[in-house]
Amino acid sequence: MSEIRVILALARNDFSYFFRTKWLMAILLSLNLSDMLVVALVYKKMMTFDYFSYFVPAVIIMGLFAASLDTGRRIWLALREGVIQYELSLPVSTPGIVLAYLLAGGAAALVYASSLMAIALIVLPVGAIWSALMLLPFLFVLAMGLAGIAATLSAIASTHGEFFFAFQNIVQTVLLIFSTVYYPIEVIQNFLPSFLVVVAEANPLSLAAEALRQYTFAGVSIELSFLMKILLSSIPFAIVGAFAYLGALRKLQVEGKL
Amino acid sequence: MPAVETKNLSKRYGKVYALKNLDFTIDENEIMVLLGPNGSGKTTLLLILATVLKPTSGQANVMGFDVTTQPTRVRQILGVAFQEARGFWRHKPADILRFHASVCGVAKTERESAIESILKDLELWDARNKLFMHLSGGQAKRMEVSKVFVQRPKFAILDEPTSQVDLRGKRKIWAQILKLREEGSTILVATNEVREAEYLADRVTVLDKGNSVVCDTVRQLKDSITGGDIVELEIDTSDMQTLRNALGQIEGTVKIINASSNHLKAYVSMAESWVPKMTDICYQRKARISSIRVTEPSLDDVFLHFTGRTLRDGDT
Repeated sequence: MSEIRVILALARNDFSYFFRTKWLMAILLSLNLSDMLVVALVYKKMMTFDYFSYFVPAVIIMGLFAASLDTGRRIWLALREGVIQYELSLPVSTPGIVLAYLLAGGAAALVYASSLMAIALIVLPVGAIWSALMLLPFLFVLAMGLAGIAATLSAIASTHGEFFFAFQNIVQTVLLIFSTVYYPIEVIQNFLPSFLVVVAEANPLSLAAEALRQYTFAGVSIELSFLMKILLSSIPFAIVGAFAYLGALRKLQVEGKL
Repeated sequence: MPAVETKNLSKRYGKVYALKNLDFTIDENEIMVLLGPNGSGKTTLLLILATVLKPTSGQANVMGFDVTTQPTRVRQILGVAFQEARGFWRHKPADILRFHASVCGVAKTERESAIESILKDLELWDARNKLFMHLSGGQAKRMEVSKVFVQRPKFAILDEPTSQVDLRGKRKIWAQILKLREEGSTILVATNEVREAEYLADRVTVLDKGNSVVCDTVRQLKDSITGGDIVELEIDTSDMQTLRNALGQIEGTVKIINASSNHLKAYVSMAESWVPKMTDICYQRKARISSIRVTEPSLDDVFLHFTGRTLRDGDT
């Protein structure tokens, strides 16, 4: 079996693991669906602008974010339960194992976010479906980047689950505060130092949320240059995450523990 | 060329050596058993050969591939059953075996029948729809070794394959291991169970404190213990003292003691050659032998002989 086929088999296995964790699915779906179908629709009636079109893309990106970060939990479990030692004995290179986890993280998050998007598309015009489909490959790369962040956190936390969840919450808070996922850039301009405006604009979560708002919900024509920004801001996270996880595996092989 | 070879292999955790300058070989199509107490370096050696750990120094080759520089090539020919079962918690045994078989290149047409056959043989068929995390310790262990039996690798590594498994399950696992060898696999088993080693081994390597103390066939190891065989005799004779002196002259006799008036206990080397000579002497002296009982040394005695400690002492 070629290296690529083994990587895909590993990725498929980890992908299915995400959806087998039923309690996690129940929590994520109940949170995201209540945000989309209750908060967004109710606030839409209370606001002077289309709050649904502003808020639902944020929920979808948050769904993508949460599902991507779950890659870190699965990596942490694999380290804690020793499954990683089993994977290190399989006919695949060590970088291949790392790649499989990032691919699985990206794919699981994309499928999850797509299901939220599909629900939102019920109330959107047909043309939005095409735009949504165009965005998917870019969201996949973003999800891989976020999975890379999760991999880094689990590598740093090693087998200490409590550290991993603490790191995850810190990163989540920082990435969301300095972004335009939940509020427009004017809020940051008015209340935070100016360099954070640049940070928020370059934040891949902001870019993805804006892309969804503009191209899928507002019906604006897709600009490839904007989508490339999502790629360019996401890829570094994936690369750093891959090397961090690879470093953790090398340490495990040399020292016998993390 | 040996199937597996290590030269000056060392592995250090901090300041502690788990393996120290180990030279070790396994011949092709052989079952090599590593025998030693906990902490003797068995699992470390297995994990290095399985490419899970990297050696601190020295060299290890599996079927001609270096475990440090060609780990992926080694992984393509090896199957491992770990000491602690490694499974995806939320997968069922059949799913885990299906994944393993697929990744290890078992032909699609053979997978399902191989999985069904092994699950039934190791009595996991009824548990096939349980989640891995709900399996008992024994079931999880049988699940772990099942991976190797479904895969049928060229080089199989089994770390304490029957720990936590009941006697019936042990016999089934041993039969599968022997079958695997018959099909041409080279097998490395680590155990601290003497009976398992005696049942399976073509050769035994006794490991102690990260070093190979001795390596040979079970027979040779037992025979290497001077006076290791014990022959207990019940004899009717009018002159026990003279007979005892005569028996003491047989080659290989270490000592003979009187357990009671008509009961002798002889400590000898290689009882199989000592007993015929003893019967000749008794016949010549018209001594009637009413019972003979031969006890050979166990591998625990072998370990004691070579290390000065028992396997259980080593555990503590």
